[in-house]
Amino acid sequence: MLTLATRTLELRGFPSDEVSRHLLLSEDRQLPEPLRRSRAFIARVGQPPSGFAAYVGFQDRPELLEIIDHAQTPVVLLPATDFEYLSDGDVLRVMPRGNAARAVYRRRSRQNFILTTERCNNFCLMCSQPPKRDDDSWLVDDILRLLPLIDRGTPEITITGGEPTLLGDDFLRILSACESWLPETAIHILSNGRTFADLDFARRYAAVGHHDVMVGIPLYSDVSHLHDFVVQAKGAFDETVRGILNLKSLGQRVEIRVVLHQQTYRRLPQLAQFIARNLRFVDQVALMGLEMTGFTRANLPLLWIDPIDYQNELEQAVDELVAHGVRTSIYNHQLCVLPERLWSFARKSISDWKNEYMPECHGCTKMDQCGGFFSSAHLRYSDHIRPFLAAGSDRSYGMPAHQSGTL
Amino acid sequence: MSRFGALADYAPTLETRYQLLPFRFANLDDGRCVVTNMVGEYALLSRADLEDFVHHRLVPSSRAYDDLKAKHFLVDGDDSVAVDLLVLKARTKASRLAQFTGLHMFVTTLRCEHACPYCQVSRQSEDRAAFDMSEATADRGLELVFRSPSPTIKIEFQGGESALNFGLVRYIVERAEEINRTEGRDLAFVIATNLAIVTDEMLQYCREHNIFVSTSLDGPADLHNRNRPRAGRDSYERAVDGIRRARAIVGRDRVSALMTTTRDSLGRVEEIVDEYLRQGFGGIFLRPLSPYGFAVKTKSYAAYDADAWLDFYFRGLRYILDLNRRGYRFVEHYASLVLGKMLTPFDTGYVDLRSPAGIGIGALIYNYDGEVYASDESRMLAEMGDTSFRLGNVHRDTWEDIMTSEALLRPLEASYTGSAPMCSDCAFEPYCGADPVFHHATQGDAVGHKPTSAFCRRNMTIFKHLIGLLDEPETRRILLGWI
Amino acid sequence: MVDEGGGRFSAVLCFSTAVYSVEAVKRAAYRFTDRLSFDISLRDQEIRCSVTPLADMTKVDLASLTARVRNEVLDQDLRERIAAETAGVRNVVLAYAFSATGLQDS
Repeated sequence: MLTLATRTLELRGFPSDEVSRHLLLSEDRQLPEPLRRSRAFIARVGQPPSGFAAYVGFQDRPELLEIIDHAQTPVVLLPATDFEYLSDGDVLRVMPRGNAARAVYRRRSRQNFILTTERCNNFCLMCSQPPKRDDDSWLVDDILRLLPLIDRGTPEITITGGEPTLLGDDFLRILSACESWLPETAIHILSNGRTFADLDFARRYAAVGHHDVMVGIPLYSDVSHLHDFVVQAKGAFDETVRGILNLKSLGQRVEIRVVLHQQTYRRLPQLAQFIARNLRFVDQVALMGLEMTGFTRANLPLLWIDPIDYQNELEQAVDELVAHGVRTSIYNHQLCVLPERLWSFARKSISDWKNEYMPECHGCTKMDQCGGFFSSAHLRYSDHIRPFLAAGSDRSYGMPAHQSGTL
Repeated sequence: MSRFGALADYAPTLETRYQLLPFRFANLDDGRCVVTNMVGEYALLSRADLEDFVHHRLVPSSRAYDDLKAKHFLVDGDDSVAVDLLVLKARTKASRLAQFTGLHMFVTTLRCEHACPYCQVSRQSEDRAAFDMSEATADRGLELVFRSPSPTIKIEFQGGESALNFGLVRYIVERAEEINRTEGRDLAFVIATNLAIVTDEMLQYCREHNIFVSTSLDGPADLHNRNRPRAGRDSYERAVDGIRRARAIVGRDRVSALMTTTRDSLGRVEEIVDEYLRQGFGGIFLRPLSPYGFAVKTKSYAAYDADAWLDFYFRGLRYILDLNRRGYRFVEHYASLVLGKMLTPFDTGYVDLRSPAGIGIGALIYNYDGEVYASDESRMLAEMGDTSFRLGNVHRDTWEDIMTSEALLRPLEASYTGSAPMCSDCAFEPYCGADPVFHHATQGDAVGHKPTSAFCRRNMTIFKHLIGLLDEPETRRILLGWI
Repeated sequence: MVDEGGGRFSAVLCFSTAVYSVEAVKRAAYRFTDRLSFDISLRDQEIRCSVTPLADMTKVDLASLTARVRNEVLDQDLRERIAAETAGVRNVVLAYAFSATGLQDS
């Protein structure tokens, strides 16, 4: 698991009251001089080239940047091994006032997230980003300053929170800025959908006219009070469904997301029927494994169920959705806990800074196909993790020997 | 103290009053009831639960309560999105009505070289002048076709043997394509033919103009040939050969077959299914016994026929499901249409099982002589002397004359199941349809007397049976694959 | 009550108007008109339903059929109650289902 943020760093040459500054990183010694004025050089070895706006080095090699006069040019020294991954095109946000820094964008990553706020009007039992009530509206301008620095070749960015739409017009400004600065980048918005129940807001969202955007909206039950319980907010189900209806009536793309745990698995087939019957026009449905972070830890007795124990319900739900022509995907499940019939729906999707494999996986021939685990899964994961061994082994799940070499 | 609320904080309590949403119920056989809402969603309840439900005594958060809430049989919140969803679904189901007549059949000729005893309409004749549709009639017919607002238009060639006047088929196809260049509809063609006299050139033409081929296959050779005699006694052989050639030239997905069920078929459903399997079809439509012809002439469409046919149907269905269980996908098409009504938000578009009836507003037929009828069965009735469902004539009447004629409007209104006796409170009404022509032919009026109606008996039995099958998980999984 | 008059068994069913409507009795009766004929009259607080089989039928079969008629009257009574309670929503749904404008514009 990658470390993205730190408070153990040295900042030299930044005004002590400066809240936040973004550094677009470069490793290019030959970078043309005009471009150096807007980038920060990552010093790993040898003498750093001159002319950059700032320099980023590591605490185990501070001498590399001793030559820089930080009265003129600021310097950042990061903890050594933790940030070794930083590379050309990444964006590091330094926060001198709080003596902190965070890698907010990584060009090589397949999943970049933009956190818009930590406020939320739901309070899900299994929230992986527990809400805070502080006024974090400073994030809006921060994001608007970040967007121009992001490589325009980035395929996709996820806008998340908390609940991004609570920012109201600022949320729309951010989306509009994405369209301006990143006209080839797809945007995936994670939202509970409730604000879109306000048709006027939904219209203004549609009016932004983003070329490739989808809202991922969680729905946890076909029964309103069961959904409200999971998200800990009365009336949430009704607003969420209204939001979905409004978005679809305006031709906007919507994905329904379902996190599978003890409180949602029992009626999963019925939820699939509900979606097929009432929300047939959604663009896709994502069935997701539980992350052991945030509130999940506190609510584990209420939430935990071994995925092996809901294979039936999951199979029925997928059958239902697929029969009705609804595009369906399974995320964050290991292949050994999924019925083989469902493997074609499983997507390898755990963010590369979060995924790992367990000791039980040792020797598994399907690790490449399988998404593995969240790092947080060490806390609790299925008792039925088993490797798929090569043919001929006595614990083989794979192809029989006479078929080896063919597919 | 936890920051999190318990389920009890969100769930309805014994004090919560719930309201009923519109629904109907019917008894199934074993102490259970089926309840259906306005858009055909259903649930199974015990009789006791049904009474509790109606009397507002159903225990909140019981399994029955949650199912009924999710399926929009009850609502318990002040500002629930349930009614909005119900409205959306009702609109979706009804939306096809606004499209109006999508299926337009042209009888290119009454001539036919077969002499099938169950056919009411064909003529064993060489007299083209007497029995072929003229280009002038076709032109008037096409004008009427495009008066329909439907965005999808399917033109189907019927007969007699429609290919005996293939020149007119070509004429109509090309005229329609020409008109459609400005109309911009989704235009499709089907030719209903026994394939016995269809040449490769004709099939090539079908390929070029995307004409689908629909043929007759009644079962194995002896059954088919007994049902469908022709000089040479080789109807089956020609049909099978024709199917092979049509698939090769027109495309394997553009060739389908329909069976006609006769009394001789009733004991042989497995053989008929096997024949369809053998011929490489992915499914079969197990059609009901036709009441037209002999039965109508003698005013007897005996009740035993309905039961004998049901036996035929269920044996066929069981045989087909068994094939599926063994891993071979094979669909029974009538079941699949009904399942679409039960399980999806859409109207499955089958003109013969619709309310308001599909006569006129779903389908129209333009006979060789220019007479316009409300359905193919209406034309059959006319051939037997009963012109109750003749709507007009292409040479004399306008679109408005035809679509507002008493001959169309009266039976449409009278037969509408939402207000017909017994239908209006039937739980299965969302799945069923009005068939005014059938009821007129067999019982003497468009509404029919449902307690003695073979149509009602047949459909209600099938609906109950399918609901029972859907309750078995393995069978449900198979049936889901059919919709 | 089974009355053995006229060569064919018939029966009389009575329903109190305090409990059942004439409409419910008629609707129930209608469903059995493939096998029974009905003569329905109203006297005092009672709906009288005289029931005659259309074809020969044993006493036992007639009794069992009339029991089913009674149950059907109960069902029709239930249906009346449901229809009364849900007529408002039903009309709203139908109105919107067939209207030119959708929910959005309301």
